[in-house]
Amino acid sequence: MSLADHIRHESARLAALCTACGDCVRACPMTPYAPGVADAEPGAVAAGMVEVLRDGSGTPEARAWIAACTRSGVCTPACPEGIDPAFMLRLATWRAKGALGDAPLIAVKEDTQFSPKVKAFARLTLTEEEQAQWL
Amino acid sequence: MAVGSGERAIFWYGCNMTRHGEVIRATTRLLEAVGIEAVTTGGPASCCGSPKDANARINEGMARRTVQAFNATGRETVVTWCPSCHMNMQDSMAPVTPTNFETVHVTEMLHARREALRPLLTRPVPARVLLHGHLGFHGRVPVNGLVPDLLRLIPGLDLVEHPYRAPGHMCSSLTGVPGVPGVPGALADAQRATLAAMAETGADTLCTIFHSCHRENVGLEQNHPVKVVNWVHLLAWSAGWEAEDGYKAMRNAADPRAALGEALVEAAGEVPFARLVEPELRKPPPV
Repeated sequence: MSLADHIRHESARLAALCTACGDCVRACPMTPYAPGVADAEPGAVAAGMVEVLRDGSGTPEARAWIAACTRSGVCTPACPEGIDPAFMLRLATWRAKGALGDAPLIAVKEDTQFSPKVKAFARLTLTEEEQAQWL
Repeated sequence: MAVGSGERAIFWYGCNMTRHGEVIRATTRLLEAVGIEAVTTGGPASCCGSPKDANARINEGMARRTVQAFNATGRETVVTWCPSCHMNMQDSMAPVTPTNFETVHVTEMLHARREALRPLLTRPVPARVLLHGHLGFHGRVPVNGLVPDLLRLIPGLDLVEHPYRAPGHMCSSLTGVPGVPGVPGALADAQRATLAAMAETGADTLCTIFHSCHRENVGLEQNHPVKVVNWVHLLAWSAGWEAEDGYKAMRNAADPRAALGEALVEAAGEVPFARLVEPELRKPPPV
């Protein structure tokens, strides 16, 4: 199985289980940082997120909520259906970033200098022997 | 089955932990002290793939290479440090590339064997400590309870209680990856709430759990009368081990280049240091 297949399969499975009741949105500590979400109906925001899992583009509020997700995970125990909204948001984030090849729906936060930076810091904090063994 | 039943393990410290060499070193030693013979590995060659979340094909390739390398060692347990790596291993790496090892967080591994640590932790570390806890990851691994249990082994350390937990699974989720903005305002809000919790409880020391929290919070020492340490520093000091906080020294130096010295700057590479390291070290703290 490829990661893309895994994302598609899990997206479809969880989207089918979700009732879009909105309890995950109500529980989320990040809604103050997601423009429009505080004034939106929580169920509508959740439905927009599910739409992204179904290859749609979601609503502006749903996209803002997805972009503001920091993996607090408090949505999962709040779910009355016992499914995993935190993982749904992880899947929605992948999709919204364009991981499956579609145009991104949210800003992509990617550090193109990630690996060189990690290595530069390693040269400052690890001995040459540690770098040889641990990197 | 006991937590991390395998005594031959891989200690997978992640990527951004290379800022904290003494924490990698001390954690490896702590694992040895509880009977775990660990191969330590991390950096870009052992990536979980998340730096390439916007491209499933590249993400998968990086993650698959890591899982296959871990499988090839024949070791029964991978001990994680980074909560992102841990969750990615369980949520996307192992389901795509089957593993022949168990994934255990380092706090679980040490907590389950904490009686072996007790005789080592003889030196008092006088500090009134507030744990820097997050809401996330605790639902997966109860770090906000495991780390305090480990800290309670340290003589002289006074651990205060406060209900505040920052959003996210660690601070990088609030601030984004280094150099790339995350959720505007979220880190500053979390730091203000943390400082308020310290004032309320009379804590003089903030104890971070994860590397990105440590990276983002050591700068608080520049503007506030607090100390910021990691839980591994505290355990190492109580054991009498050398574990000077190298990143904090760089981050809080008036002139990081002068503090490090030209030899280290040259080792890092002049261009990488000037373009990648120095801007992070000179970034003003959010609060």
